[in-house]
Amino acid sequence: MNIESPLLASPLLGEVLRPEMTILIGIVLLIVVPNLGNATIRIPMTKFRIPVFLGGRRFTATSDPLIPGVISMFVLLLSMAASLMTFVDGHELVNVCISASGAIQQGCTGSDYILRSDPYSRLFTTIFFFALLLGTAAMINRMPAFVDAKAPHPDDTGATRIHAIRRLLNNRRQGDFHLLILFVALGMSIVALSTHLFLLFIGLELASLAIYVLVAFMKEDETSGEAATKYFLTGSVASAITLYGMSLLYVWSGSASNYATASLSLVGPNGLAATWQAMDSIDPLAAIGFGMVLVGFGFKISAVPFHFAAPDAYSGTSAPMALILATASKAMGFAALIRILIVMAMPEYGAEATWLILVGILSVVTMTWGNLAALSTENPKRMLAYSSVAHAGYLLAALAALGSGMAGAATSRLLVTAVVFHLLVLSFFKSGAFLVLTLTEMKGDDTNKMESLYGLGRRDPIMAAAMFVFMLALAGVPPLSGFLSKFLVIDGIVTASTASGSLSAGGAIEWLSSVHWVFWLAVAMAVNSALSLFYYLRIGQVMFFETPRSIRPLPEAPMIRIAVILCLFLTVLAGLGPFSQTLVDMATMAAQELLRV
Amino acid sequence: MNSLEILTLTPLAAGLMLLFLHEIVPNNTREKATELIRYANLGIAIILFLLATQIGFETDWIDTWAAGNFGGQNAYVLESTPVSLISSIGVTWHIGIDALSFPMVWLTTLLIPISMLVQWDAEKGAQFHSLILIMEGALLGVFVVLDLFMFYAFWELTLVPMFFLILVWGGADRRYAAMKFFIYTFSASILMLIGILIVYFHSAPAGDFTGTLTGHHFDMVSLMQQSSLIDSAGLRMVVFLLLLVGFATKMPSVPVHTWLPDAHVQAPTAGSMLLAGVMLKMGAYGFLRIAVSFFPQETVTMIPLLVFLGMASLFYGAWVCLGQTNLKRMVAYSSVSHMGLIFLGIATMQPLGIAGALFMMFAHGLISPLLFAVCGSFKHHYHTLEIGSMRGLAHHSPFMAGHMMLGWMASLGLPLLAGFVAEVAIMIAFWMTFGWWVLIPALTLILTAGYYLWSMQRTIFEGSDPHRGILPDTMHGEEPRDITWHENVGMFILGALAILFGILPAIFFDMMSNWSSGLVSEVLIDALTQLEVTP
Repeated sequence: MNIESPLLASPLLGEVLRPEMTILIGIVLLIVVPNLGNATIRIPMTKFRIPVFLGGRRFTATSDPLIPGVISMFVLLLSMAASLMTFVDGHELVNVCISASGAIQQGCTGSDYILRSDPYSRLFTTIFFFALLLGTAAMINRMPAFVDAKAPHPDDTGATRIHAIRRLLNNRRQGDFHLLILFVALGMSIVALSTHLFLLFIGLELASLAIYVLVAFMKEDETSGEAATKYFLTGSVASAITLYGMSLLYVWSGSASNYATASLSLVGPNGLAATWQAMDSIDPLAAIGFGMVLVGFGFKISAVPFHFAAPDAYSGTSAPMALILATASKAMGFAALIRILIVMAMPEYGAEATWLILVGILSVVTMTWGNLAALSTENPKRMLAYSSVAHAGYLLAALAALGSGMAGAATSRLLVTAVVFHLLVLSFFKSGAFLVLTLTEMKGDDTNKMESLYGLGRRDPIMAAAMFVFMLALAGVPPLSGFLSKFLVIDGIVTASTASGSLSAGGAIEWLSSVHWVFWLAVAMAVNSALSLFYYLRIGQVMFFETPRSIRPLPEAPMIRIAVILCLFLTVLAGLGPFSQTLVDMATMAAQELLRV
Repeated sequence: MNSLEILTLTPLAAGLMLLFLHEIVPNNTREKATELIRYANLGIAIILFLLATQIGFETDWIDTWAAGNFGGQNAYVLESTPVSLISSIGVTWHIGIDALSFPMVWLTTLLIPISMLVQWDAEKGAQFHSLILIMEGALLGVFVVLDLFMFYAFWELTLVPMFFLILVWGGADRRYAAMKFFIYTFSASILMLIGILIVYFHSAPAGDFTGTLTGHHFDMVSLMQQSSLIDSAGLRMVVFLLLLVGFATKMPSVPVHTWLPDAHVQAPTAGSMLLAGVMLKMGAYGFLRIAVSFFPQETVTMIPLLVFLGMASLFYGAWVCLGQTNLKRMVAYSSVSHMGLIFLGIATMQPLGIAGALFMMFAHGLISPLLFAVCGSFKHHYHTLEIGSMRGLAHHSPFMAGHMMLGWMASLGLPLLAGFVAEVAIMIAFWMTFGWWVLIPALTLILTAGYYLWSMQRTIFEGSDPHRGILPDTMHGEEPRDITWHENVGMFILGALAILFGILPAIFFDMMSNWSSGLVSEVLIDALTQLEVTP
């Protein structure tokens, strides 16, 4: 028998896609394990019953409500380790592509591949899995499972009854939550891997749909439904626009009469990149399609003016979900955006990209708006949401510098490295900040008010100190990792914009007028960074100098505390010393691989 | 690890550890732990002082730089093997000291145990003394690192312990003062950072120091040796001015001095002592080490600005002192006035003048902590700082009065005390360069004598009843006491050193003038001859 299964056709496939395979197995396990029971099927006409193990009375051991959380964390950990394998010296499958038929191309020599597992995509999957892992860890304490939860006694009333019901509810939805998290992981890694726009869209939607549900997941909170509705409506409109843009690109890539050459693949002789390069002057159809695609990713990275849902979503949902939105979801948006901007629409060296002005304006508006809005909010989660908007602006500035056509090979590599590294370290300190907020919101304090952080330094000095470090890292204070990533971005922009060799100009004014206008993005970034210090330090001020509104200590929540300490160490170590160099090297590998295409 | 690295890193590590230790000991042993941690802090500080003294003794400071190699390779003592910290952007752990930094290093290690001693019985002593030890690490870091990035990092790090010292242990209006202090100096150092970054973007690759991604480096030694650091003259001037703003704010010089009086008045005694004794000197140190050394041409061009800033600080500081009724505020403004002299000394472009400025940094570092210690104990025992609310201090607290008198005299420049040496050197050099203009700073020193003598007369001596004096209302009938023994020991050491360095200034003055002649003859000389300024 001749089975034409891709899996059997190329045994390497399982090895290349090991992280994704692990997640698939995890999804199956999450569905199967909690449902294991003593169900049997009676063979018709006989008295024999065959056990099928699915359904019936569930086994005590496997129906433990703690199991889904364990499976999900374990799976994410394994997937992260598998993703990181790409960066280990001597690993053979560093750069592997997979064609639509499932054929494996080592070294990506072919031109018809749709998935590409290289350091670039693997670094992004590492970021996704790490952020999701932190979110999961936080949720294990935020939404704890109780083995001994019982239905409320009929005589119970009021708070006791609600408490008992909530414990039961938490047990019930463990499986759902972790299943959704794994779907997010799968969707995101498809986005990072795919070099085909349609596949990319499928990954995007897989992740997005799961995220919409997750945003609304803590439905006992009044705000989460509202947040999710807003996020869903805006997000689905953005996705629709993206899809429409893709269809326009598809039409454009083929000729009017012959759709055989039409393609949504980024690579290959008929690919969008090649068609884009071959275009003499900008085709309106291509420009409109391209712009529409950008809208969808602009929403994901919460760039102004597509950011309006983000602050509501962040502040309405639970802190662990806000963590995932701010780190993993944003990194996913950038993973795709960079692929599209750099691989598809990158001009030759010396020529300006068509999207340069668009991205440049988007960048400066985004960072300024984000910072000004963050300055004027008294809601920590909203503040972090706006700070996330501002950070998107910084990264867009780096992309604009790439599009200026002034960046040589080394500078381009530096810029992409900076962006990737920033997204990587963002998953350390931004996650850390949201994890601390998770702790504060667990005891029912309203984290949507600055008051919830008042006097945190007295209630829990270690968590407050960690939060302060995260704030400093977000502000980019040396020598924390947030500084290094911002510095690399600024360095790249300055090097690119002054590359015309006019450093010897006589006066400062002449010098300034001789640089490319992208230089001013670096200046805007520096000014914005200084501006942002005010609201980041404000968090420190209220934590240490205000009288606490509540004297209750923060909850025990060991998983969250471990995660916070881990984030703290990573934040510091990623800024200084050999570990930081390792991370930068990983980002450089990723950048090199991306620019090689 | 060489002894300098130990000297720099121990206080940071030990301070952080002791601070953390206090948080984790169980509640029932906390009292005892506090006591032990205090002793541990003091012990470490004293050991570090001995280590710094030993480094001072075993080094020949006169020949640290070879001709033609000022500030370059091998110009530093105890230079550490460079270790890459952030190799992607070229940040290196590279430290070393020379005649410019060693007096500051020694002064820091001296002032730390003394300031601990003077405020030995501070509340929450474990945290207080640990913060001071962390402060020591940050201050030493500023003076020893030879990497611009680490310089900036340590520079900002000094703000953190000082901010908390003011905020937690400060006076009634401490919150405002701490915030003002932080925002003011932080904004200024952002400008300095921009200057540093522009320098960074113009650095040529220098071996192992070079960043693997960016191709630039932060190493000061390599930057000193790089010919034509920035080609564009206009940009050079911009960078120089940016650096000047950063450093002048720290010094502080008029018109960017307004954070200082507030910070000083609200800061705890130990905080004031370190603030005036060492932190202000960071500004002058950075100015000489970076702004002057990297941009000699701009320095020479900007001599008029330096003279103006110096004169303005000197005169304005003294003028405002005359009108002060708050003892501590008066001493704070006197610091502004004395820092003006440092700018004047540098502006002379004479080896003698620059050496005088260096000695001023050192002498003021001995004297102003003494003044602030006296103010602190005055506040501690008499619960007020108003000049004139208390008469006849000499009767009630003879030791305090004695220290006050010695400190005041040293600060106004009495011969045979440390301040005098610096003032004379600067005045002579000023006369050599600017001729009779010297009358302006010289006559301003009369104002200095005026406000000191006046405040002394109204505090120490005068009283309607020579046997009782007048006690301030804030005493509420409390019996006046003299200073405690630990305050006495701390002040005594400072006073004795002020006398010692007044009689034997050569201990540091020789190496300072050696360094200054190096700066003038190797770095500034081209710019001076080009602009026809005769050194």
